Amino acid sequence: MMRAVVASELLKLRSVTTTYRAIGVAALMVVLGAVWTFYVGTMADERGSIRAAAPEQGFLPLLQTSLALLGVLAITSELATGMVRTSLVVVPRRGVLFAAKAGVVGAVTFGGAVTILLTTYATSRLIAGDRLLGFNQSSLAADLPMLLASGLSVTVLALVGLGLGCATRSTAAGIVSVVSLLFVLPGIATYLPPPWNTRVASFMLPNLVPQIAGDQLSRRLGDGLLPPWAALATLIFYAAVTLGAAFYLFKRRDA
Amino acid sequence: MVRCAEGPPCRIFFSVIELHHLTKRYGDTLAVHDLSFSVAPGHVTGFLGPNGAGKSTTMRLILGLDAPTSGKALVNGRPYMSLARPMREVGALLDANAVHGGRSAYNHLLCLARTNDIGPRRVAQVLEQVGLAGVARKRVGGFSLGMKQRLGIAAALLGDPRVLMFDEPVNGLDPDGVRWIRDLMCSLAAEGRTVLLSSHLMSEMALTAERIVIVGRGRLIAEATVAELISRYHTLEDAYMALTAGSVQFGVSS
Ligand SMILES: Nc1ncnc2c1ncn2[C@@H]1O[C@H](COP(=O)(O)OP(=O)(O)O)[C@@H](O)[C@H]1O
Ligand SMILES: [Mg+2]
Repeated sequence: MMRAVVASELLKLRSVTTTYRAIGVAALMVVLGAVWTFYVGTMADERGSIRAAAPEQGFLPLLQTSLALLGVLAITSELATGMVRTSLVVVPRRGVLFAAKAGVVGAVTFGGAVTILLTTYATSRLIAGDRLLGFNQSSLAADLPMLLASGLSVTVLALVGLGLGCATRSTAAGIVSVVSLLFVLPGIATYLPPPWNTRVASFMLPNLVPQIAGDQLSRRLGDGLLPPWAALATLIFYAAVTLGAAFYLFKRRDA
Repeated sequence: MVRCAEGPPCRIFFSVIELHHLTKRYGDTLAVHDLSFSVAPGHVTGFLGPNGAGKSTTMRLILGLDAPTSGKALVNGRPYMSLARPMREVGALLDANAVHGGRSAYNHLLCLARTNDIGPRRVAQVLEQVGLAGVARKRVGGFSLGMKQRLGIAAALLGDPRVLMFDEPVNGLDPDGVRWIRDLMCSLAAEGRTVLLSSHLMSEMALTAERIVIVGRGRLIAEATVAELISRYHTLEDAYMALTAGSVQFGVSS
Protein backbone atom coordinates (compact mmCIF):
# COMPACT_ATOMS: atom_id res chain seq x y z
CA MET A 1 0.00 0.00 0.00
CA MET A 2 2.63 2.52 1.08
CA ARG A 3 4.86 1.76 -1.91
CA ALA A 4 1.97 2.23 -4.34
CA VAL A 5 0.97 5.53 -2.76
CA VAL A 6 4.57 6.76 -2.87
CA ALA A 7 4.67 5.92 -6.60
CA SER A 8 1.45 7.90 -7.05
CA GLU A 9 2.74 10.91 -5.12
CA LEU A 10 5.93 10.89 -7.17
CA LEU A 11 3.88 10.87 -10.37
CA LYS A 12 1.76 13.73 -9.00
CA LEU A 13 4.92 15.81 -8.67
CA ARG A 14 6.30 14.77 -12.03
CA SER A 15 3.08 15.47 -13.90
CA VAL A 16 2.66 19.18 -13.19
CA THR A 17 4.75 21.96 -14.66
CA THR A 18 5.02 23.92 -11.38
CA THR A 19 7.42 21.23 -10.16
CA TYR A 20 9.75 21.86 -13.09
CA ARG A 21 9.47 25.61 -12.67
CA ALA A 22 10.37 25.40 -8.99
CA ILE A 23 13.33 23.13 -9.71
CA GLY A 24 14.31 25.38 -12.62
CA VAL A 25 14.39 28.42 -10.34
CA ALA A 26 16.36 26.42 -7.78
CA ALA A 27 18.84 25.40 -10.48
CA LEU A 28 19.43 29.07 -11.31
CA MET A 29 21.77 28.79 -8.35
CA VAL A 30 24.30 27.06 -10.59
CA VAL A 31 24.18 29.92 -13.13
CA LEU A 32 24.26 32.65 -10.50
CA GLY A 33 27.11 30.86 -8.74
CA ALA A 34 29.08 30.71 -11.98
CA VAL A 35 28.45 34.40 -12.73
CA TRP A 36 29.39 35.35 -9.17
CA THR A 37 32.62 33.32 -9.30
CA PHE A 38 33.51 34.79 -12.67
CA TYR A 39 32.86 38.30 -11.34
CA VAL A 40 34.90 37.92 -8.13
CA GLY A 41 37.52 36.08 -10.18
CA THR A 42 38.11 39.14 -12.38
CA MET A 43 38.34 41.27 -9.21
CA ALA A 44 40.91 38.86 -7.82
CA ASP A 45 42.86 39.11 -11.06
CA GLU A 46 43.18 42.84 -10.45
CA ARG A 47 43.91 42.71 -6.71
CA GLY A 48 45.70 39.40 -6.32
CA SER A 49 43.28 37.87 -3.79
CA ILE A 50 39.81 38.49 -2.40
CA ARG A 51 37.54 37.29 0.41
CA ALA A 52 34.26 36.46 -1.33
CA ALA A 53 31.32 34.46 -0.04
CA ALA A 54 30.93 30.94 -1.35
CA PRO A 55 28.15 30.86 -3.96
CA GLU A 56 26.61 27.70 -2.49
CA GLN A 57 26.12 29.65 0.73
CA GLY A 58 25.28 33.05 -0.70
CA PHE A 59 22.57 31.74 -3.01
CA LEU A 60 21.25 29.13 -0.58
CA PRO A 61 18.09 31.17 0.24
CA LEU A 62 17.10 30.95 -3.43
CA LEU A 63 17.33 27.17 -3.28
CA GLN A 64 15.52 27.09 0.04
CA THR A 65 12.59 29.24 -1.03
CA SER A 66 12.05 27.66 -4.44
CA LEU A 67 12.08 24.10 -3.13
CA ALA A 68 10.05 25.01 -0.04
CA LEU A 69 7.45 26.28 -2.51
CA LEU A 70 7.41 22.75 -3.92
CA GLY A 71 6.55 21.45 -0.45
CA VAL A 72 3.80 24.02 0.06
CA LEU A 73 2.26 23.31 -3.35
CA ALA A 74 2.39 19.54 -2.88
CA ILE A 75 -0.47 19.89 -0.42
CA THR A 76 -2.13 23.25 -1.11
CA SER A 77 -2.66 22.49 -4.81
CA GLU A 78 -4.80 19.57 -3.64
CA LEU A 79 -6.55 21.40 -0.84
CA ALA A 80 -7.41 24.37 -3.03
CA THR A 81 -8.84 22.33 -5.91
CA GLY A 82 -10.59 19.66 -3.85
CA MET A 83 -8.25 17.08 -5.41
CA VAL A 84 -7.48 16.00 -1.85
CA ARG A 85 -10.97 14.47 -1.64
CA THR A 86 -10.34 12.56 -4.85
CA SER A 87 -7.04 11.39 -3.34
CA LEU A 88 -8.62 10.39 -0.04
CA VAL A 89 -11.32 8.37 -1.77
CA VAL A 90 -8.62 6.18 -3.32
CA VAL A 91 -6.34 6.29 -0.25
CA PRO A 92 -8.70 6.57 2.74
CA ARG A 93 -5.92 6.05 5.28
CA ARG A 94 -4.84 9.57 5.90
CA GLY A 95 -1.64 8.55 7.64
CA VAL A 96 -0.53 6.67 4.54
CA LEU A 97 -1.35 9.55 2.19
CA PHE A 98 0.33 12.12 4.41
CA ALA A 99 3.43 10.01 5.00
CA ALA A 100 3.77 9.30 1.27
CA LYS A 101 3.49 12.99 0.47
CA ALA A 102 6.04 13.98 3.10
CA GLY A 103 8.38 11.18 2.06
CA VAL A 104 8.26 12.14 -1.61
CA VAL A 105 8.68 15.85 -0.91
CA GLY A 106 11.56 15.07 1.44
CA ALA A 107 13.37 12.76 -0.95
CA VAL A 108 12.86 14.89 -4.06
CA THR A 109 13.92 18.13 -2.40
CA PHE A 110 16.95 16.53 -0.72
CA GLY A 111 18.07 14.88 -3.95
CA GLY A 112 17.45 18.04 -5.94
CA ALA A 113 19.10 20.32 -3.39
CA VAL A 114 22.25 18.23 -2.99
CA THR A 115 22.60 17.86 -6.76
CA ILE A 116 22.24 21.61 -7.30
CA LEU A 117 24.58 22.42 -4.39
CA LEU A 118 27.27 20.05 -5.62
CA THR A 119 26.96 21.29 -9.19
CA THR A 120 27.21 24.89 -7.98
CA TYR A 121 30.20 23.91 -5.86
CA ALA A 122 31.96 22.12 -8.70
CA THR A 123 31.37 24.71 -11.42
CA SER A 124 32.38 27.60 -9.17
CA ARG A 125 35.62 25.83 -8.17
CA LEU A 126 36.34 25.05 -11.82
CA ILE A 127 35.79 28.67 -12.83
CA ALA A 128 37.85 29.89 -9.86
CA GLY A 129 40.83 27.77 -10.89
CA ASP A 130 43.80 28.58 -8.70
CA ARG A 131 42.76 32.15 -7.93
CA LEU A 132 42.46 33.00 -4.24
CA LEU A 133 38.78 33.88 -3.79
CA GLY A 134 38.48 33.14 -0.07
CA PHE A 135 35.97 30.34 -0.47
CA ASN A 136 37.93 27.96 -2.67
CA GLN A 137 40.91 27.10 -0.49
CA SER A 138 39.32 24.27 1.47
CA SER A 139 38.95 20.69 0.31
CA LEU A 140 35.65 19.08 -0.66
CA ALA A 141 35.94 16.85 2.43
CA ALA A 142 36.11 19.94 4.63
CA ASP A 143 33.18 21.59 2.84
CA LEU A 144 30.98 18.51 2.72
CA PRO A 145 29.33 18.98 6.17
CA MET A 146 28.23 22.46 5.12
CA LEU A 147 26.95 21.18 1.77
CA LEU A 148 24.98 18.35 3.35
CA ALA A 149 23.64 20.59 6.11
CA SER A 150 22.52 23.06 3.43
CA GLY A 151 20.80 20.27 1.52
CA LEU A 152 19.08 19.10 4.68
CA SER A 153 17.94 22.63 5.48
CA VAL A 154 16.24 22.78 2.08
CA THR A 155 14.42 19.53 2.81
CA VAL A 156 13.40 20.71 6.25
CA LEU A 157 12.04 23.93 4.78
CA ALA A 158 10.10 22.00 2.13
CA LEU A 159 8.60 19.80 4.85
CA VAL A 160 7.84 22.82 7.00
CA GLY A 161 6.19 24.32 3.92
CA LEU A 162 4.16 21.14 3.43
CA GLY A 163 3.12 21.22 7.07
CA LEU A 164 2.22 24.89 7.15
CA GLY A 165 0.45 24.63 3.79
CA CYS A 166 -1.58 21.73 5.16
CA ALA A 167 -2.39 23.52 8.40
CA THR A 168 -3.35 26.83 6.79
CA ARG A 169 -4.88 25.24 3.65
CA SER A 170 -3.57 28.16 1.63
CA THR A 171 -0.65 28.49 -0.77
CA ALA A 172 -0.17 32.14 0.14
CA ALA A 173 -0.19 31.48 3.88
CA GLY A 174 2.21 28.57 3.42
CA ILE A 175 4.65 30.73 1.47
CA VAL A 176 4.40 33.61 3.93
CA SER A 177 5.11 31.22 6.81
CA VAL A 178 8.18 29.81 5.09
CA VAL A 179 9.49 33.27 4.24
CA SER A 180 8.96 34.37 7.85
CA LEU A 181 10.97 31.44 9.15
CA LEU A 182 13.70 31.99 6.61
CA PHE A 183 14.05 35.78 6.49
CA VAL A 184 11.76 37.72 8.79
CA LEU A 185 12.34 36.04 12.17
CA PRO A 186 16.13 35.72 11.76
CA GLY A 187 16.17 39.35 10.64
CA ILE A 188 14.38 40.42 13.81
CA ALA A 189 16.64 38.23 15.97
CA THR A 190 19.74 40.00 14.64
CA TYR A 191 18.51 43.32 15.99
CA LEU A 192 17.78 42.13 19.52
CA PRO A 193 20.16 43.56 22.16
CA PRO A 194 23.21 41.36 22.80
CA PRO A 195 23.60 38.69 24.07
CA TRP A 196 19.98 37.91 23.13
CA ASN A 197 20.59 38.42 19.44
CA THR A 198 23.07 35.54 19.30
CA ARG A 199 21.06 33.38 21.69
CA VAL A 200 17.82 33.70 19.74
CA ALA A 201 19.53 33.65 16.36
CA SER A 202 21.15 30.32 17.22
CA PHE A 203 17.73 28.69 17.02
CA MET A 204 16.66 30.36 13.79
CA LEU A 205 16.28 27.90 10.95
CA PRO A 206 18.81 29.33 8.46
CA ASN A 207 21.42 29.75 11.24
CA LEU A 208 21.35 26.05 12.05
CA VAL A 209 23.25 25.24 8.85
CA PRO A 210 26.55 26.93 9.84
CA GLN A 211 26.21 25.58 13.37
CA ILE A 212 25.90 22.02 12.05
CA ALA A 213 29.08 22.60 10.06
CA GLY A 214 30.79 24.16 13.09
CA ASP A 215 31.05 27.66 11.57
CA GLN A 216 30.21 31.14 12.85
CA LEU A 217 26.64 32.42 12.42
CA SER A 218 27.96 35.63 10.95
CA ARG A 219 30.68 38.15 11.76
CA ARG A 220 28.15 40.22 13.64
CA LEU A 221 26.62 37.41 15.68
CA GLY A 222 29.76 35.36 16.21
CA ASP A 223 29.59 31.71 17.26
CA GLY A 224 26.17 30.16 17.83
CA LEU A 225 25.17 28.48 21.08
CA LEU A 226 24.54 25.06 19.62
CA PRO A 227 27.07 22.29 19.09
CA PRO A 228 26.69 20.54 15.70
CA TRP A 229 24.58 17.65 17.00
CA ALA A 230 22.18 19.99 18.80
CA ALA A 231 21.87 22.19 15.71
CA LEU A 232 21.09 19.11 13.64
CA ALA A 233 18.51 17.97 16.17
CA THR A 234 16.91 21.44 16.19
CA LEU A 235 16.72 21.43 12.38
CA ILE A 236 14.97 18.06 12.39
CA PHE A 237 12.77 19.24 15.26
CA TYR A 238 11.42 22.06 13.03
CA ALA A 239 10.24 19.55 10.45
CA ALA A 240 8.94 17.07 13.03
CA VAL A 241 6.86 19.62 14.92
CA THR A 242 5.28 21.20 11.85
CA LEU A 243 4.56 17.84 10.22
CA GLY A 244 3.19 16.48 13.49
CA ALA A 245 0.84 19.41 13.96
CA ALA A 246 -0.20 19.32 10.31
CA PHE A 247 -0.91 15.62 10.42
CA TYR A 248 -2.98 16.02 13.57
CA LEU A 249 -5.17 18.56 11.74
CA PHE A 250 -5.21 16.58 8.48
CA LYS A 251 -6.42 13.49 10.28
CA ARG A 252 -9.09 15.23 12.30
CA ARG A 253 -10.53 17.74 9.88
CA ASP A 254 -13.24 17.01 7.36
CA ALA A 255 -11.70 16.87 3.90
CA MET B 1 -44.42 6.65 4.12
CA VAL B 2 -43.95 4.25 1.28
CA ARG B 3 -41.82 1.23 2.02
CA CYS B 4 -40.35 -1.54 0.05
CA ALA B 5 -43.03 -4.23 0.05
CA GLU B 6 -42.33 -6.57 -2.82
CA GLY B 7 -39.92 -9.47 -3.14
CA PRO B 8 -37.61 -10.70 -0.44
CA PRO B 9 -37.61 -8.28 2.49
CA CYS B 10 -35.65 -5.44 0.92
CA ARG B 11 -32.69 -7.70 0.19
CA ILE B 12 -31.17 -6.40 3.39
CA PHE B 13 -29.00 -9.46 3.69
CA PHE B 14 -27.08 -8.42 0.63
CA SER B 15 -26.98 -4.70 1.11
CA VAL B 16 -23.60 -3.26 0.23
CA ILE B 17 -24.05 0.22 1.61
CA GLU B 18 -25.63 0.57 5.04
CA LEU B 19 -26.29 3.72 6.97
CA HIS B 20 -27.04 3.43 10.67
CA HIS B 21 -28.46 6.55 12.30
CA LEU B 22 -25.99 8.69 10.42
CA THR B 23 -25.87 12.27 11.68
CA LYS B 24 -23.64 15.14 10.64
CA ARG B 25 -23.65 18.61 12.08
CA TYR B 26 -21.65 21.55 10.72
CA GLY B 27 -21.82 24.21 13.37
CA ASP B 28 -25.48 25.13 13.50
CA THR B 29 -26.42 23.22 10.36
CA LEU B 30 -27.74 19.73 10.79
CA ALA B 31 -26.80 18.48 7.32
CA VAL B 32 -27.71 14.83 7.88
CA HIS B 33 -30.08 13.80 10.64
CA ASP B 34 -30.43 10.25 11.92
CA LEU B 35 -30.36 8.80 8.42
CA SER B 36 -30.67 5.04 8.06
CA PHE B 37 -31.11 3.16 4.80
CA SER B 38 -29.35 0.50 2.84
CA VAL B 39 -28.52 0.03 -0.80
CA ALA B 40 -28.74 -3.38 -2.41
CA PRO B 41 -26.85 -4.63 -5.47
CA GLY B 42 -28.06 -5.19 -8.96
CA HIS B 43 -29.85 -1.95 -9.70
CA VAL B 44 -29.60 1.79 -9.66
CA THR B 45 -30.73 3.35 -6.41
CA GLY B 46 -31.74 6.92 -6.85
CA PHE B 47 -30.77 9.24 -4.02
CA LEU B 48 -33.10 12.14 -4.36
CA GLY B 49 -33.68 15.37 -2.54
CA PRO B 50 -33.83 19.13 -3.03
CA ASN B 51 -30.66 21.20 -2.95
CA GLY B 52 -29.23 21.24 0.54
CA ALA B 53 -31.00 18.04 1.54
CA GLY B 54 -27.72 16.44 2.59
CA LYS B 55 -27.03 14.11 -0.35
CA SER B 56 -23.44 15.18 -0.92
CA THR B 57 -22.75 15.18 2.81
CA THR B 58 -24.12 11.65 3.09
CA MET B 59 -21.82 10.49 0.29
CA ARG B 60 -18.82 12.18 1.91
CA LEU B 61 -19.71 10.43 5.17
CA ILE B 62 -19.94 7.04 3.45
CA LEU B 63 -16.50 7.59 1.91
CA GLY B 64 -14.92 8.66 5.18
CA LEU B 65 -14.14 12.16 3.89
CA ASP B 66 -16.13 13.75 6.69
CA ALA B 67 -16.46 12.24 10.14
CA PRO B 68 -20.04 11.64 11.27
CA THR B 69 -21.21 13.44 14.40
CA SER B 70 -22.86 10.15 15.32
CA GLY B 71 -23.95 6.94 13.67
CA LYS B 72 -22.01 5.01 11.09
CA ALA B 73 -21.87 4.05 7.44
CA LEU B 74 -20.65 0.68 6.21
CA VAL B 75 -19.58 -0.46 2.77
CA ASN B 76 -19.54 -4.22 2.23
CA GLY B 77 -20.02 -4.51 5.96
CA ARG B 78 -16.98 -2.42 6.88
CA PRO B 79 -16.17 1.23 7.41
CA TYR B 80 -14.82 2.66 4.15
CA MET B 81 -11.62 3.76 5.92
CA SER B 82 -10.70 0.16 6.58
CA LEU B 83 -10.72 -0.95 2.92
CA ALA B 84 -7.19 -1.82 1.82
CA ARG B 85 -7.71 -1.31 -1.94
CA PRO B 86 -10.92 0.74 -2.02
CA MET B 87 -10.87 1.36 -5.79
CA ARG B 88 -11.43 -2.34 -6.41
CA GLU B 89 -14.56 -2.28 -4.26
CA VAL B 90 -16.01 1.21 -4.61
CA GLY B 91 -15.84 3.86 -7.30
CA ALA B 92 -17.09 7.34 -6.56
CA LEU B 93 -17.58 10.61 -8.36
CA LEU B 94 -18.38 13.39 -5.93
CA ASP B 95 -17.20 16.59 -7.54
CA ALA B 96 -15.97 16.62 -11.11
CA ASN B 97 -14.05 19.83 -10.47
CA ALA B 98 -11.97 18.25 -7.71
CA VAL B 99 -8.97 17.77 -10.01
CA HIS B 100 -5.64 19.51 -10.48
CA GLY B 101 -6.08 21.56 -13.65
CA GLY B 102 -2.40 21.36 -14.57
CA ARG B 103 -2.36 17.61 -14.99
CA SER B 104 -3.31 15.74 -18.15
CA ALA B 105 -6.33 13.46 -18.05
CA TYR B 106 -4.08 10.44 -18.49
CA ASN B 107 -1.72 11.43 -15.69
CA HIS B 108 -4.59 12.35 -13.39
CA LEU B 109 -6.04 8.88 -13.77
CA LEU B 110 -2.65 7.21 -13.54
CA CYS B 111 -1.95 9.03 -10.25
CA LEU B 112 -5.15 7.57 -8.85
CA ALA B 113 -4.62 4.13 -10.40
CA ARG B 114 -1.11 3.77 -8.98
CA THR B 115 -2.36 4.02 -5.40
CA ASN B 116 -4.33 0.81 -5.82
CA ASP B 117 -1.79 -1.00 -8.01
CA ILE B 118 -3.81 -0.47 -11.17
CA GLY B 119 -1.73 -0.28 -14.34
CA PRO B 120 -1.60 2.16 -17.26
CA ARG B 121 -3.40 -0.25 -19.55
CA ARG B 122 -6.55 0.04 -17.46
CA VAL B 123 -6.20 3.82 -17.55
CA ALA B 124 -6.21 3.75 -21.35
CA GLN B 125 -9.23 1.44 -21.28
CA VAL B 126 -11.39 3.68 -19.12
CA LEU B 127 -10.38 6.75 -21.11
CA GLU B 128 -11.61 4.92 -24.19
CA GLN B 129 -14.80 3.86 -22.40
CA VAL B 130 -15.77 7.40 -21.41
CA GLY B 131 -14.79 8.87 -24.77
CA LEU B 132 -11.81 10.90 -23.60
CA ALA B 133 -9.09 8.89 -25.37
CA GLY B 134 -8.61 11.69 -27.88
CA VAL B 135 -7.86 14.30 -25.21
CA ALA B 136 -5.98 12.02 -22.82
CA ARG B 137 -2.81 14.11 -23.02
CA LYS B 138 -4.61 17.45 -22.72
CA ARG B 139 -4.65 19.33 -19.46
CA VAL B 140 -7.74 18.86 -17.36
CA GLY B 141 -7.87 22.61 -16.67
CA GLY B 142 -9.11 23.18 -20.22
CA PHE B 143 -11.91 20.62 -20.00
CA SER B 144 -15.58 21.56 -20.03
CA LEU B 145 -17.69 20.46 -17.07
CA GLY B 146 -19.08 17.64 -19.19
CA MET B 147 -15.59 16.37 -19.98
CA LYS B 148 -14.67 16.60 -16.30
CA GLN B 149 -17.74 14.56 -15.40
CA ARG B 150 -16.57 11.92 -17.87
CA LEU B 151 -13.11 12.04 -16.34
CA GLY B 152 -14.58 11.59 -12.85
CA ILE B 153 -16.61 8.63 -14.09
CA ALA B 154 -13.46 7.16 -15.64
CA ALA B 155 -11.75 7.48 -12.26
CA ALA B 156 -14.65 5.74 -10.56
CA LEU B 157 -14.48 2.87 -13.05
CA LEU B 158 -10.69 2.38 -12.82
CA GLY B 159 -10.76 -0.42 -10.26
CA ASP B 160 -13.72 -2.18 -11.91
CA PRO B 161 -15.62 -1.89 -8.60
CA ARG B 162 -18.87 -3.62 -7.68
CA VAL B 163 -20.18 -0.50 -5.97
CA LEU B 164 -20.49 2.88 -7.65
CA MET B 165 -21.58 6.22 -6.24
CA PHE B 166 -22.23 9.28 -8.36
CA ASP B 167 -23.18 12.67 -6.98
CA GLU B 168 -25.26 14.62 -9.49
CA PRO B 169 -23.23 13.42 -12.47
CA VAL B 170 -25.50 14.98 -15.07
CA ASN B 171 -25.14 18.55 -13.79
CA GLY B 172 -23.80 20.70 -16.58
CA LEU B 173 -24.05 18.07 -19.25
CA ASP B 174 -25.55 18.54 -22.69
CA PRO B 175 -28.40 16.24 -23.75
CA ASP B 176 -25.96 13.85 -25.41
CA GLY B 177 -23.96 13.57 -22.23
CA VAL B 178 -27.06 13.08 -20.10
CA ARG B 179 -28.14 10.26 -22.33
CA TRP B 180 -24.71 8.71 -22.26
CA ILE B 181 -24.60 8.73 -18.45
CA ARG B 182 -28.09 7.29 -18.25
CA ASP B 183 -27.13 4.39 -20.52
CA LEU B 184 -23.91 3.85 -18.61
CA MET B 185 -25.71 3.69 -15.26
CA CYS B 186 -28.18 1.17 -16.60
CA SER B 187 -25.50 -1.02 -18.12
CA LEU B 188 -23.45 -0.92 -14.91
CA ALA B 189 -26.46 -2.00 -12.90
CA ALA B 190 -27.31 -4.67 -15.48
CA GLU B 191 -23.85 -6.13 -14.88
CA GLY B 192 -24.97 -6.70 -11.29
CA ARG B 193 -23.23 -3.71 -9.76
CA THR B 194 -24.63 -1.51 -7.05
CA VAL B 195 -25.18 2.04 -8.23
CA LEU B 196 -26.09 4.91 -5.94
CA LEU B 197 -26.97 7.95 -8.00
CA SER B 198 -27.90 11.26 -6.47
CA SER B 199 -29.93 13.97 -8.09
CA HIS B 200 -32.24 16.80 -7.22
CA LEU B 201 -34.33 16.07 -10.32
CA MET B 202 -36.89 13.32 -10.27
CA SER B 203 -37.05 13.29 -14.06
CA GLU B 204 -33.49 11.97 -14.04
CA MET B 205 -34.42 9.08 -11.79
CA ALA B 206 -37.50 7.99 -13.68
CA LEU B 207 -35.38 6.58 -16.50
CA THR B 208 -32.61 4.92 -14.55
CA ALA B 209 -33.48 4.07 -10.97
CA GLU B 210 -35.39 1.06 -9.77
CA ARG B 211 -35.42 2.08 -6.14
CA ILE B 212 -35.51 5.58 -4.78
CA VAL B 213 -34.43 7.03 -1.46
CA ILE B 214 -35.78 10.52 -0.89
CA VAL B 215 -34.23 12.86 1.66
CA GLY B 216 -35.12 16.37 2.75
CA ARG B 217 -33.35 18.55 5.31
CA GLY B 218 -31.06 15.71 6.18
CA ARG B 219 -33.83 13.26 7.05
CA LEU B 220 -35.18 10.22 5.27
CA ILE B 221 -38.53 11.05 3.68
CA ALA B 222 -39.25 7.92 1.71
CA GLU B 223 -37.67 4.73 0.51
CA ALA B 224 -39.57 2.94 -2.22
CA THR B 225 -39.42 1.31 -5.61
CA VAL B 226 -40.26 3.40 -8.62
CA ALA B 227 -43.22 1.11 -9.30
CA GLU B 228 -44.64 1.74 -5.86
CA LEU B 229 -44.31 5.49 -6.17
CA ILE B 230 -46.02 5.51 -9.53
CA SER B 231 -48.88 3.33 -8.39
CA ARG B 232 -49.44 5.61 -5.45
CA TYR B 233 -48.86 9.08 -6.90
CA HIS B 234 -49.44 8.53 -10.65
CA THR B 235 -46.18 10.12 -11.73
CA LEU B 236 -42.81 10.31 -10.07
CA GLU B 237 -42.89 14.07 -10.39
CA ASP B 238 -46.07 14.19 -8.34
CA ALA B 239 -44.60 11.81 -5.80
CA TYR B 240 -41.53 13.96 -5.42
CA MET B 241 -43.50 17.17 -5.06
CA ALA B 242 -45.85 15.65 -2.53
CA LEU B 243 -43.15 14.01 -0.46
CA THR B 244 -40.71 16.90 -0.36
CA ALA B 245 -43.27 19.66 -0.01
CA GLY B 246 -42.12 20.48 3.50
CA SER B 247 -38.41 20.23 2.91
CA VAL B 248 -37.48 22.43 0.00
CA GLN B 249 -34.80 24.80 1.10
CA PHE B 250 -33.42 27.62 -0.92
CA GLY B 251 -29.73 27.44 -1.55
CA VAL B 252 -27.08 26.08 -3.78
CA SER B 253 -26.07 22.44 -3.84
CA SER B 254 -22.44 21.67 -3.31
N1 LIG C 1 -18.52 21.59 4.75
C1 LIG C 1 -19.67 22.15 5.17
N2 LIG C 1 -19.67 23.12 6.11
C2 LIG C 1 -20.82 23.68 6.52
N3 LIG C 1 -22.03 23.37 6.04
C3 LIG C 1 -22.11 22.43 5.09
C4 LIG C 1 -20.93 21.77 4.59
N4 LIG C 1 -21.32 20.89 3.65
C5 LIG C 1 -22.64 20.97 3.57
N5 LIG C 1 -23.14 21.89 4.43
C6 LIG C 1 -24.55 22.23 4.63
O1 LIG C 1 -25.24 21.02 4.84
C7 LIG C 1 -26.47 21.01 4.15
C8 LIG C 1 -26.51 19.84 3.20
O2 LIG C 1 -25.65 20.10 2.11
P1 LIG C 1 -25.35 19.05 0.96
O3 LIG C 1 -24.97 17.76 1.57
O4 LIG C 1 -24.37 19.67 0.05
O5 LIG C 1 -26.76 18.92 0.25
P2 LIG C 1 -27.12 18.39 -1.22
O6 LIG C 1 -25.93 17.69 -1.76
O7 LIG C 1 -28.28 17.49 -1.00
O8 LIG C 1 -27.51 19.57 -2.03
C9 LIG C 1 -26.60 22.37 3.48
O9 LIG C 1 -27.35 23.19 4.32
C10 LIG C 1 -25.18 22.85 3.40
O10 LIG C 1 -25.13 24.24 3.43
MG1 LIG D 1 -24.90 18.09 -3.51
